[in-house]
Amino acid sequence: MTDAYKIIHPNKYFEDYISCGERPDERGFSDHRSLLLSVHSIKTAEASAVLKCGNTAAVCGISLELATPKAEEPDNGFLVINVEMTPLCSSKFRPGPPSDQAQVISTAVNDVITNSKCIDLKDLCIVSDKLAWVVYCDVACIDNDGSVIDACIVTLMASLKTLTLPTVSYDVETEEIKVDPTVRIPLKMSGLPVATSFAIYQTPQRNILLSDPTSYEEDMCGGIGTNLIVCWNEGLLCGVQKFGGSNISTEDHKELFRVSKMRSEVIREAIITCITGDTEELSESPK
Amino acid sequence: MKIEPEKLKHHNLKPMKCELNYLSKSDGSSILSQGNTVVLVSVNGPLEIKSAYQSMEKATLEVLFSNKGGKPSVADRFKENVIRQTCESAILGCLFPRTGINITIQELENYGGLVACAVNCTCLALLNSGVAMRHVVAAVTCAVDDVGNLVLDPTHEQIQSSQALMYFVFESSEKNMVTGFTEGKFSEDTYLEALELCRSASDLVFKFYREIVSKYCSVIG
Repeated sequence: MTDAYKIIHPNKYFEDYISCGERPDERGFSDHRSLLLSVHSIKTAEASAVLKCGNTAAVCGISLELATPKAEEPDNGFLVINVEMTPLCSSKFRPGPPSDQAQVISTAVNDVITNSKCIDLKDLCIVSDKLAWVVYCDVACIDNDGSVIDACIVTLMASLKTLTLPTVSYDVETEEIKVDPTVRIPLKMSGLPVATSFAIYQTPQRNILLSDPTSYEEDMCGGIGTNLIVCWNEGLLCGVQKFGGSNISTEDHKELFRVSKMRSEVIREAIITCITGDTEELSESPK
Repeated sequence: MKIEPEKLKHHNLKPMKCELNYLSKSDGSSILSQGNTVVLVSVNGPLEIKSAYQSMEKATLEVLFSNKGGKPSVADRFKENVIRQTCESAILGCLFPRTGINITIQELENYGGLVACAVNCTCLALLNSGVAMRHVVAAVTCAVDDVGNLVLDPTHEQIQSSQALMYFVFESSEKNMVTGFTEGKFSEDTYLEALELCRSASDLVFKFYREIVSKYCSVIG
């Protein structure tokens, strides 16, 4: 009966839930889904992480390569982040070259990492103008049930946090490169940026902010593109994005910042516990 | 965060110059310069589109952003997304179901604030094309300099030396934020302050729209 109601009156069905102060999956408006994070899951990659946040699943693998730095920036290494939305994850993504939506997600993830300055590209340089690391981060979304950008960033951060770089000796005269994979130094990172998505549902009285939305909620609120994404790193904002959709007031902004700040702390702790204690399940307690 | 009214009077945006109907064959077109940044936009529609892209409920917006070099890049897809999402909320798409509205944006000069200029120019071109709209939108850029002061509508040099850059788009009826995105790191208070500053500065853009439209429309003028 409920299923038929959902199909015949999709808007009314969703509205009824919201007006009762609840979401279709029984969460409160600012509750998040439980996380399951595991690191070192891919043995062939230098560093890796798998995340499941509700039904949303993403995996990240990091591979390393040596290259000559760009002539314009001889002291900088390379951090190449690629987010792939596989056709597995949702019917919205087809095989073949990445769709516009996939490219937008990729840019958004890239922007967060660049803006947060959590990695100094100078740390990836071995010898100025001669040799530098190229860190390839490949993130793949396996199951897209909303808040993909959040999930991608968490896996990416967990993998980068566990990444160790082999020591390299470079002879300037002979140009000989020696890599010692037994002695490894961890990659320096300043903070762990965490993003939180919100879907905004417009009701005549006020706008409802749904944190960590599922893909169903995203669709009801105007599609994934209209999510509001807030990203925190070390107590500072490093990205606030919102493209179209419903409007929000200054009070809503403050509420968003409060919820996302709390969540970013929880997730940061989750990543650190996971790395120190291998795998750990974490259920976020509702506020 | 409230800004005193005296402070608002000193708002200054870079000089804006605009010409509508710049292209003869498109349904609506405009060329806009904000400072030294110049963008040309053409709007065509509502037109017939491929059935795969048709929507039963509203008009489909197709946005194409061509950069100066002409080589498509991932960053352009991002700009297209910003403009598409923003315009989708402004256009009354439900009046034209199963059709498409084509927006083509050509970057001519970029001296900072390109996205803001592109959004404003698109809005003027949409007004020129006569597509029914819910409200108009105005984009304003704001930079945070290395000491933490806000710089409204920064120049190219100011952007280079800034530690954060924020873009906001507001709608004309309630002055609510439609779109916003940021670069760099900043505190929560800075963000809210910049939001209010840009919100009040958006009035200047709306005033400019009114001047341009009345100039081209002898009846209103």
